Amino acid sequence: VHDVDAPPKIDEAEVGRIFREESGRSVAALIRIFGDIDVAEDAVQEAFAVALRKWPGVGLPPNPGGWITTTARNRAIDRLRRESRGRELLSEVAVLSPGNDDPGAPEKEGPVQDDRLRLIFTCCHPALSMEAQVALTLRLLGGLSTKEVARSFLVTEPAMAQRLARAKRKIKAARIPYRVPEEHGLPERLRPCWPSSTSSTMPGSPAQPTQISARRRSGSHGSSRRSCPTSQRWPACSPCCS
Amino acid sequence: MRRITMAQYLLSVHTVEGEAREPMTEEEMRQFMERVGVLEEEIKSAGAWVFSGRLHEADTATVVRVSNSEVLTTDGPFAESKEHLGGFYIIEAEDLDAALSWAAKTADCVKRPIEVRPFWQAPGA
Repeated sequence: VHDVDAPPKIDEAEVGRIFREESGRSVAALIRIFGDIDVAEDAVQEAFAVALRKWPGVGLPPNPGGWITTTARNRAIDRLRRESRGRELLSEVAVLSPGNDDPGAPEKEGPVQDDRLRLIFTCCHPALSMEAQVALTLRLLGGLSTKEVARSFLVTEPAMAQRLARAKRKIKAARIPYRVPEEHGLPERLRPCWPSSTSSTMPGSPAQPTQISARRRSGSHGSSRRSCPTSQRWPACSPCCS
Repeated sequence: MRRITMAQYLLSVHTVEGEAREPMTEEEMRQFMERVGVLEEEIKSAGAWVFSGRLHEADTATVVRVSNSEVLTTDGPFAESKEHLGGFYIIEAEDLDAALSWAAKTADCVKRPIEVRPFWQAPGA
């Protein structure tokens, strides 16, 4: 007989499922706070490592996604304080977002306020190659590992790691903005944005290699708009989500 | 908005060696210069202007190398490529989207593709 108040049993698979569902939101929130994709990714990974150790013993927190984001943010701050460049970044963050203590509260700007939507527009910026757009979206928003993304593209993991690193370097160096375009710019930006969903990817179900390679061969843009890369339905994205 | 500092971008126009292009008539040249003038005035009044330049043909270039403290001077451009830098603007912009919108105006003005490349910035600069 089980105690009704006992925490539900959490195993590695369950944490993995939560990771795929929640990591995109956490990564996006941390990119908004720190303005750095690598810092955000590393911190979220670290937070899930903590969750893996902690949750099986004490059970799930009431809001696992929020717990991950807060833990990741604190870990990132701890880590940045230890590095001199990190301390610069932190002072910049403190200056520019005073009193923004709630990592779950999105900045108020643009027609849609959602960190993940902003991140989609960064990942799917036309200045990045189609392939980089899809790979980054799967990695950052879909919660897929580099290995899983590599498998979807039929390339080796080191090759994919290199492509992802190059794309992230370009985002940083060229300052690809982290924001939803203004309404008048949306139609133009949705065209390059939504083909990245041709692979019908849902979190945790890597794209079928045949679908991506077919798209790469044909080089078609925007021919298929079936589903969102994050499986979310965005109000502003009727071309793909309606 | 996190970043308040501006970044600098190189907007470059490339010419293709040996590409047959009808030379401009005097009238076409006048119109071209007028369009460029209007564009440059717009860039300046937006506070995005840093510097610009138009180069002579690549075959006027000279390359200087130093090897074992010896200077070697050779005729011709450095790159083997068929495409050469023909002219450029250096602009300041908040982010890539702002730089791309200047690039679109420039491309429309000079009727040539424009390459947009960010300048390297020292960390913390």
